[in-house]
Amino acid sequence: MTSPSATAPDTRPLGSAAAGTPSGTRRGTEFEGTVTVLTRQAVADDVVSLELAASSGEPLPVWQPGAHIDVVLPTGATRQYSLCGPVGDTAHWRVAVLREPDGRGGSQWIHDHVEEGGELRVRGPRNNFPLRPATRYLFVGGGIGITPLLPMIAEADAAMAEWSLLYGGRTPSSMAFLPELEGHGERVTVRPQDKHGLLDLAGFLGDPDPSTLVYCCGPAGLIDAVEAHCADWPTGALNIERFAAAAVRQPADDTAEQPIEVELRASGTTVTVPPGLSVLKAVEQAGVPVLSSCEEGICGSCETSVLEGEVDHRDSLLTEDERAANDTMLICVSRARGGRLVLDL
Amino acid sequence: MTLTQHVRNGWYLGAWSDEIGRTLKQRWITDIPVCFYRLPDQTVTAVEDRCPHRKYPLSLGHLDDEGTLQCDYHGYRFDGQGVCVGVAEQADRPKAALRRFPLVERDGAIWIWPGDPELADESLLPDTSWLTDPSWTHVHGVVPLKARHMLLLENLLDLTHETFLHPTSIGNAAVAATPIDVTVDGDRVGFSRRMIGIEAPPFYEKSCGLTSPVDRWQDGDFYPPGIFVLNIRVAATGTEEPDGFHMKVLYGMTPGRGNETHDFYALGRDYLIDDQELTKFQHEQQLAVMQEDVDALEAQEIMYATDPGGSAESSIKSDLAALRGRRAVAKMLAREQRAQQDARVPHSRASV
Repeated sequence: MTSPSATAPDTRPLGSAAAGTPSGTRRGTEFEGTVTVLTRQAVADDVVSLELAASSGEPLPVWQPGAHIDVVLPTGATRQYSLCGPVGDTAHWRVAVLREPDGRGGSQWIHDHVEEGGELRVRGPRNNFPLRPATRYLFVGGGIGITPLLPMIAEADAAMAEWSLLYGGRTPSSMAFLPELEGHGERVTVRPQDKHGLLDLAGFLGDPDPSTLVYCCGPAGLIDAVEAHCADWPTGALNIERFAAAAVRQPADDTAEQPIEVELRASGTTVTVPPGLSVLKAVEQAGVPVLSSCEEGICGSCETSVLEGEVDHRDSLLTEDERAANDTMLICVSRARGGRLVLDL
Repeated sequence: MTLTQHVRNGWYLGAWSDEIGRTLKQRWITDIPVCFYRLPDQTVTAVEDRCPHRKYPLSLGHLDDEGTLQCDYHGYRFDGQGVCVGVAEQADRPKAALRRFPLVERDGAIWIWPGDPELADESLLPDTSWLTDPSWTHVHGVVPLKARHMLLLENLLDLTHETFLHPTSIGNAAVAATPIDVTVDGDRVGFSRRMIGIEAPPFYEKSCGLTSPVDRWQDGDFYPPGIFVLNIRVAATGTEEPDGFHMKVLYGMTPGRGNETHDFYALGRDYLIDDQELTKFQHEQQLAVMQEDVDALEAQEIMYATDPGGSAESSIKSDLAALRGRRAVAKMLAREQRAQQDARVPHSRASV
């Protein structure tokens, strides 16, 4: 056990950030409220850039590279977007949003409903991806993952640090902010996949170097590859930010989704549950009352006794023992392996 | 969530050792009034705080130097085993004995088993050796809480609330933003949250002399029905092990009377153990954080108490450990209720 290497704990005032380190923004400087969309620009295929200002006209809190804001959707769900404008600008914030057709609908809502002059509810900024001081930086951005790196690059440049950026994407037209990066000359390597294939991470990252920090943001495949490459680097050298994505449990077997027969023994009826419809919905449609709440296999409200049949458990709640007993299921997400179930409903 | 009945076949933290001496102490546990005291040889004992004669609280009586407990209403006297040894009114001893509860006193804590004594199993207790380990130091106490035990349990099993309820001390955005891994081992529920490269919340900045970014680990273990142990490790990013600052928090979530709960806590650390200033600071912070929790849970209790039908609750992935904890307790309670039904005598005489 080592003692704290910094000053003794009782001599530092509460809540004082270390001077000179670009750590995350502090709470207490967070904003929660309504912003007005000043401009909306298409900056790449399926990417819009939004310039925001506080609707009240008050200045926005300062932030540091890597920070993000939460956009609160009308449903109450929140989506996080990195701030990618100039760090010192307290009048405006800029975010860029990629339309993700396979996502949970947040980005689509923004693309379809947010117009210039419109308003958004936001919270933040917060920073889980702070830029730490170093003499040399290697930035790796994939697709919309370029956004948190833009202010980092500006910061590194201002600090006279050595830096370079490897920027990958599907096609040149899908890659946002290329014009802004042109001014940096050879420090920026743009590698769209349609022309260059996979990124040459080994060539770009090279060998471990104690004075270098690596910052990477992008799709999971890119981050995994960078993590694999940096496995031998000093701990803390690699800094990543993953896009939060809802984990989707895959069906336990590889067979395509099949319709299933569900007998509701207490009600004396049988329902057919087609692919894409949950057992819960099918039961409700058959007029059988059943409790439910989250419809995501988390809360357990719709737990139902299974009398016959093998359950394909797809919930998050049940323990392995409970699954193995095969006598209960969460009908909002789970299905049948053998095509047939008998439930105590 | 209707849990006005409590699991009794389980260990609860009944008292800290330094709370119990030669004076009689009443504490309600799972709706049972319990009277704690020490015998002349210093062994701790706990009996139901109702005199078998007319249910007068024995804790209002007194204890003599031989360890005989006298009820101060009509003078029933009980020995250290809880057996009635005489009354002033007659020469014959009444056939009366007190209900005594299994206790384990260990590392400065007194654990009580309010249910079937046959089932009391010491191996179910968590390791508390750090409370007496010379390389650790800790503070402890108990805070009264006017809210049901389940609300405290869910508070501890879902620490994302730190972000919102404790923003000036132990919470920041990183807590709510970092998903947990949940593990289950029989009835036990565990979770771990690994916050890497985050801003140090003020409490840890000051407690460890750290500057951001830090790595902060939370590993919680719930021993149903009422014990929670949190292991906290904080270190400068990239040096988590073996250089981390290690802290532990033990919570005894002990149902009291009705929907009241005893919120026992012990906060320990394995560094700067002689730093009294730091100890004082940590204790103040611990109590301040607990007060924020108590205020929140008491407000929540009112909302649950006035919604007896239980309108639907929304749940999200971060609720998983708390929901599993809730289920673990519900299952224990169901097992207990089934056992009670099976054992019920068909023609029990109603008492007056």
